[in-house]
Amino acid sequence: MSLRVDLYEGARIAVLSLGLNRLRTLLTTLGIGIGVATLLCILGIVQGLNASFATQLSALGSSTLWVSKFPWVITGDKWWIYRNRKDFTLDDVQAIREQSRFAAAVAPEIGRGGSVSYGDRGLSRVRIIGSTGDYLTVSGFEIQSGRAITDADSEYRKNVVVIGADLVDTLFPHSDPIGAVIRLRDLPFEVVGTLVRRGKFLGESQDTSVIIPFRTFIADYGKRRGFEIGVAVENTDLLNQAEDELIGIIRRSRGTPPEAESDFEVNRSEQLAKTYQQLTAALYGVAIGVGGITLLVGGFGIMNIMLVSVRERTREIGVRRALGARRRTVIVQFLLEAVAVAAVGGAIGTIVGLAGAKLVASITPLAAAVDPSTVLFGVGFSSLVGLLFGIWPAARAAALDPVESLRWE
Amino acid sequence: MLIEMRDIERVYHLGRSEDVHALRGVSFGVERGEWVAIVGQSGSGKSTLMNIVGCLDTPTAGHYLLNGRDVAQLSDDDLSDIRNREIGFVFQTFQLLPRESALNNVELPLVYRGVKARERRQRAKAALRQVGLGDRMRHLPTELSGGQRQRVAVARALVSEPSLLLADEPTGNLDSATGEEIMRLFEQLHRQGHTLCLVTHEPRLAARCPRAIRLRDGCIVADGPGREVAFADLPDAARAAAPVTAPQDNAPRSAATRCP
Ligand SMILES: Nc1ncnc2c1ncn2[C@@H]1O[C@H](COP(=O)(O)OP(=O)(O)OP(=O)(O)O)[C@@H](O)[C@H]1O
Ligand SMILES: [Mg+2]
Repeated sequence: MSLRVDLYEGARIAVLSLGLNRLRTLLTTLGIGIGVATLLCILGIVQGLNASFATQLSALGSSTLWVSKFPWVITGDKWWIYRNRKDFTLDDVQAIREQSRFAAAVAPEIGRGGSVSYGDRGLSRVRIIGSTGDYLTVSGFEIQSGRAITDADSEYRKNVVVIGADLVDTLFPHSDPIGAVIRLRDLPFEVVGTLVRRGKFLGESQDTSVIIPFRTFIADYGKRRGFEIGVAVENTDLLNQAEDELIGIIRRSRGTPPEAESDFEVNRSEQLAKTYQQLTAALYGVAIGVGGITLLVGGFGIMNIMLVSVRERTREIGVRRALGARRRTVIVQFLLEAVAVAAVGGAIGTIVGLAGAKLVASITPLAAAVDPSTVLFGVGFSSLVGLLFGIWPAARAAALDPVESLRWE
Repeated sequence: MLIEMRDIERVYHLGRSEDVHALRGVSFGVERGEWVAIVGQSGSGKSTLMNIVGCLDTPTAGHYLLNGRDVAQLSDDDLSDIRNREIGFVFQTFQLLPRESALNNVELPLVYRGVKARERRQRAKAALRQVGLGDRMRHLPTELSGGQRQRVAVARALVSEPSLLLADEPTGNLDSATGEEIMRLFEQLHRQGHTLCLVTHEPRLAARCPRAIRLRDGCIVADGPGREVAFADLPDAARAAAPVTAPQDNAPRSAATRCP
C-alpha cells in the first residue's frame, strides 16, 4: 500500500475523530493555542516596535553624524567626565563647514523644554530647539507650510519660530498659524512655518518641537548651554571616512594635542539601532522562552490525549490491522491526528495572538504589527510540535498486537 | 495444499506460573477450494486456531505453511498484506468500527488495498446488497440489529474476494432464515472455488459442510465428512451439560500440555 493512501486515509480519520471529540480536541488544543498566542503577541509587538523604530531612525537621518560631548549610549558612571568636557563653539561649526569634504550640511543644535501659549490655549513640555538654516537637512524634519529658519534669522536674532504638528493641532485648531504670534516661555515669537508630522516613537510624540534661530535661543535662554553639531553626509557609504575627517577637524579646532584622546563623541543612528537591537533581542528571548515552555506543555497535553486516544481505540487498531493495515499505516493515522489537533490549536492561538497584539496596540502606546510569515510560523510550528509529541503514542499504537487489540474491552 | 498445519501449539502465559494451552499440537491440511467446519465446545481453541490460520496470531510452536510459505518467516508487513489480499475474516464479535457507517466498514479492506474510491464504493455496495443490507448502508453499527451487524461483518469479509474466507460463528446471532441465507452465500462461494473455514456451534450447519474438524481441549479429536463429525460428539455434549462431570471439562486442560 502506498504512502499516499496512508496519508489520505489517515487525514480522513483525523478529521472524523476531531469532529467526534470536539470538546476534548478544543481543551487539548488550549495549551498549544496559548503558547502560539503568547509567541505571536510578543513577536507582533516586537515587530511593531521594529517598524516604528525603523521609520524613526530614517527620520533621524541615517546619514547624519552628531558631534557631542556625550555618547548616545552611556555605559557605566562616566557621565560626570562627559559633562565636564569643553563645550563646542560656533567656531567649531564654522571649521567643519569650511574644511569638510564630506559634509553636505552642518548645523548646531541646542535645546530645552518649555511651555507655549497662544491666546488662552497652551501646551507644556514643548521641546524648544535653536538652530540654523541647515537644520532641516541634518534633522530630517520637513516643512509642511510656510518657510524654515534661515541663517539670516539667526544672524539678526529674529523672534521667529517653526512649529511641530501637535502645536498646530492644539494652538490653531481653526486658524492658520502662519503669521500668528505665540509665546515661548513668555517671549513673543512669530510663526513662519509648520513641520510635517512625524508620529510617535516608543510612545512619545515627535511633533511637540519648535525650532527657533540659534542666536535667538542663546540670547533668550542662556549662553551657558552646550550644543551638539549635526553633520549631514551626502554619501552614506562614506560615513566612516567622514567621521575620521570630522574628528581631525574638531580636534584641530579645539586645539587638542596630538597625543591626547578626543574629548568629544561622534554619534550616529547606527549606535541607537545597535542598542535597540540588544533590547529587542532580550524581548525575543523572553518570547521564545515563554512561548517555548507553553508549547512544551501543550505538546505534552497532545501526547497525553493521543495516548488516551490510542487506548480508547485499541479495538479499532486491531480491526484495521486485521484487515490489512500495516504498522506504518497506523503510525501515519495517529501522527496525522496529533498534527491535526496541534494545527487546530495553532490556528486558534494565531487568531487570539493577533487579536491580542491588536489590543495591545490600541490600548498602549506600543505599536504592534504582524507580518504574514508569523501566521504561517504559528500554524507550522504547532503542527511540528504535534508531530513530535505524536510520535510516541503513534509508535505505541503500531506496536500493539492485533489479536490482543481485538480482545480489548 | 493451501493450509498446512504441523504440530501447532499455542500457549497463553498468564502471570508467573499459569499457562493456558489453547492448542496442544494440531496438525491438518486444507486443500484449495475445500469447505471445512470447525466444531467443538466453548473454550476448545476454535478462535485461537482461526487467528493463526488468518495470520493474525503466530503459534508458540509448530509450523504453519500458507500456500507453501512458512508464515513464521514472513515480515509483519507481509502478514498485513496477506490478511488484506488473501484472507477474509468474519469475527465472532463482528469487530465493526463503531464510528464508521456500514458502507465505510465494508470498504475498509479495499482502502488498505489501494482501490480507487469509486470502485471501492461500488464493490462495497454490491457486497452489502449481497447480504441483504442494501437499505442500511449509511447506518452506524449501533443503529443496526445484532444480525444486521453480523451481515455487515460478512460483507466486509467478502468484499475483497479473498481466496480464503474464515468465519467464526457467522450465524450465531441470526434467526434461522437469515442464517440460512448466509449459509447459501457460503455454498455459492464454495461452488465458485473459494476456500472456507467455518466455526460453528450448530451441528446442523456443520453437517452441511463437506468436511468438519472437531476440537476438544486444544486437540483435534475428529476430522472427516461434516455429516459424521457434526453429530458424533452429541453424547459428549450431553454429558458436558450434566453438572456432575462439568468441572472435568477444565481438569485435563492444565494437566497435559500435548495432545495424546
Ligand atoms: N488472550 C488470551 N489469554 C489467555 N487465555 C486465552 C486467550 N485467548 C484464549 N484463551 C484461552 O484459550 C482457550 C481457547 O480459547 P478460544 O477463544 O480459542 O475458544 P473457542 O473455542 O473459540 O471458544 P468459543 O466457542 O467460546 O468462542 C480458552 O481456555 C481461553 O480461555
Ligand atoms: Mg471462539
